[in-house]
Amino acid sequence: MKLNDLSLGILVLLSGVGIYLSALQFSPIPGQAYGAETMPTTIALVAIGLGVFMIGKAVVVRNAAPVLALADWTRSPMALVGLSVAIGLVVFYILFSQAIGFVPTAFLVIVTLMLTLRTRPVTAILVSLLATIVIQQAFGRLLLVPLPRSALGFLW
Amino acid sequence: MSVIVEAFGLVFQPNVLLVILGSACFGMFVGAIPGLTATMATALLVPITFFMDPVPAIGAIVTATAMAIFAGDIPGALLRMPGTPASAAYVEDAYRMTRSGRSEESLGAALVFSAIGGIFGTIVLVTASPALAEVALKFSSFEYFWLVVLGLSCAVFVSPGSVTRGIISLLIGLFAATIGIDNPAGEPRYTFGNVELLAGVQFIPAMIGLFAVSEVLRSVVSRSERPPVPPSSGDGIFRSQWTNLKRYPVQVLRGSVLGTAIGALPGAGADIAAWISYAVSKRFSKQPQKFGTGHVEGLVEAGASNNGAVSGAWIPALVFGIPGDSITAIVIGVLYIKGLNPGPTIFINDPQLIYAVFIVFFLANIIMLPLGWVAIKSAGTILAVPERVLMPIILMFCIVGSFAINNSIFGVILMLIFGVLGFLMDENDIPIAPAILGLVLGPMLEQNFITSMIKADGSFLAFFERPIAAGLGLFTIAIWCLPLIAMMIARRKRTAPGPNAPD
Repeated sequence: MKLNDLSLGILVLLSGVGIYLSALQFSPIPGQAYGAETMPTTIALVAIGLGVFMIGKAVVVRNAAPVLALADWTRSPMALVGLSVAIGLVVFYILFSQAIGFVPTAFLVIVTLMLTLRTRPVTAILVSLLATIVIQQAFGRLLLVPLPRSALGFLW
Repeated sequence: MSVIVEAFGLVFQPNVLLVILGSACFGMFVGAIPGLTATMATALLVPITFFMDPVPAIGAIVTATAMAIFAGDIPGALLRMPGTPASAAYVEDAYRMTRSGRSEESLGAALVFSAIGGIFGTIVLVTASPALAEVALKFSSFEYFWLVVLGLSCAVFVSPGSVTRGIISLLIGLFAATIGIDNPAGEPRYTFGNVELLAGVQFIPAMIGLFAVSEVLRSVVSRSERPPVPPSSGDGIFRSQWTNLKRYPVQVLRGSVLGTAIGALPGAGADIAAWISYAVSKRFSKQPQKFGTGHVEGLVEAGASNNGAVSGAWIPALVFGIPGDSITAIVIGVLYIKGLNPGPTIFINDPQLIYAVFIVFFLANIIMLPLGWVAIKSAGTILAVPERVLMPIILMFCIVGSFAINNSIFGVILMLIFGVLGFLMDENDIPIAPAILGLVLGPMLEQNFITSMIKADGSFLAFFERPIAAGLGLFTIAIWCLPLIAMMIARRKRTAPGPNAPD
């Protein structure tokens, strides 16, 4: 998923313009010429300058690279599934860990990703179980991190 | 003197030594697995160190990184897959030595000269930092402003790859640093009404996302099976190193000096040190034609260099609070969280802590020898752990680590956002190190700039009125001009045809 120089330049330019406009809402320190808007405005101006430079260079060089070059892995269904599952599992943890507790959620996250990556089921289940218990004990018991508790009580 | 005794007391405690030993093994393991970097080892350690006292916390990071940088040589030599980017420079020589039945000599050289480079860097760190801190005490916001700009510029211009992409990365980091209420005007910026964002982008989840989650995602999409590990061969790990030391004393010294110096440069770290030292070694070698064919000379010099850089990077971090590389950028974040302000005052307020860090550095480089021996001997077992088992566990570790900092699920959300961002940056060849430096140094840059401008009543000339500030300013501007000069030279070469140029 590689953008070519021209499209990356346009993205940088647009981000710069966006940051510049959003920085207009901030005000300087009373009685001074500088304040909360200084840093975002500076970032925006550098981004606009960089964007213009990149676009200019891309137009002059006329590189034949496509707007969005897809890397080799994007043609592999396994890789796409793996990526979606990995991101999806973190989202799953964010949404459900509080409701169903740390141990079941963590076990599900680890075992699902292992199975997606084609680990043998027995290995996946055993290692996931062990890893979940070690992480729960290390962070929950030893470091006293209040990991989400399970409604089922015994599955702390 | 009592300070040093106190420092020894802080380090030589059973729990601290245990932490150091544990993190040494952890660093060895992470460094030895291709795809897991020394920075990732640090990122994964930080949530745990968060719960420790400052000395074991910093000791854990120091030891783990020193070990990881060495251990990166193990898969490089055995499988031609550098374990960390810092081992990439001499991977060809190391691998070819293994192919010709000299794996123990190649890994032994990496181990012994890593330790020598590391100890050299530590000696420089111990002697130079207190003296530099004396000077730094006289610095005002003008000097600090230039130092920060210099650090950020080096991160962009010195690191390999395109400068424009380095600037994009830096802008991403600086922009993330503007979020929150912690700015000179005390005005909430880009918080979108979210209370958790008022405190700014939490540094640890962002860093775990950028360095660890992005690597997990990368490994998920480009899974490669590691080839089997060849059996250990040669006449002993340590036996031939004495000969190497006697044959290449200049190379060892040059590698150590250059590595430490490059490490001390704000923004440049072990990776760049190894590449430059390898190139220097080849340039001045009596047998440059042998480089890349299984010759130990470049390995000796660059191996000493990358570990020298690990120690050297701590000089600007401790003295000025400006990180020398992405690892010390993380360390600075950790020091702030622990309520210790890195910078010259730390040498006055907590000298025992600084000396304890120095002791840990020596200790780490000394225990590297026996532990490295074990790691080399058990390389087959370490490298047999498949990525498909390791990565899901690392992902879970990242989630819990990001949660543990504020006991808030918001940390996990930030981690995911930065993880995907890091993955996309990597896809587009945008380096990550400038972003992390921008995130850490952004508030310092803003604070010093606004303070200076208010002091100077809006006059930019004030940034050049104090001698050190002027020197730093001119040096920084010279670095900015480097790419322009390089471009002009390249153009002149192209437009002025040489004697053999076709017409």
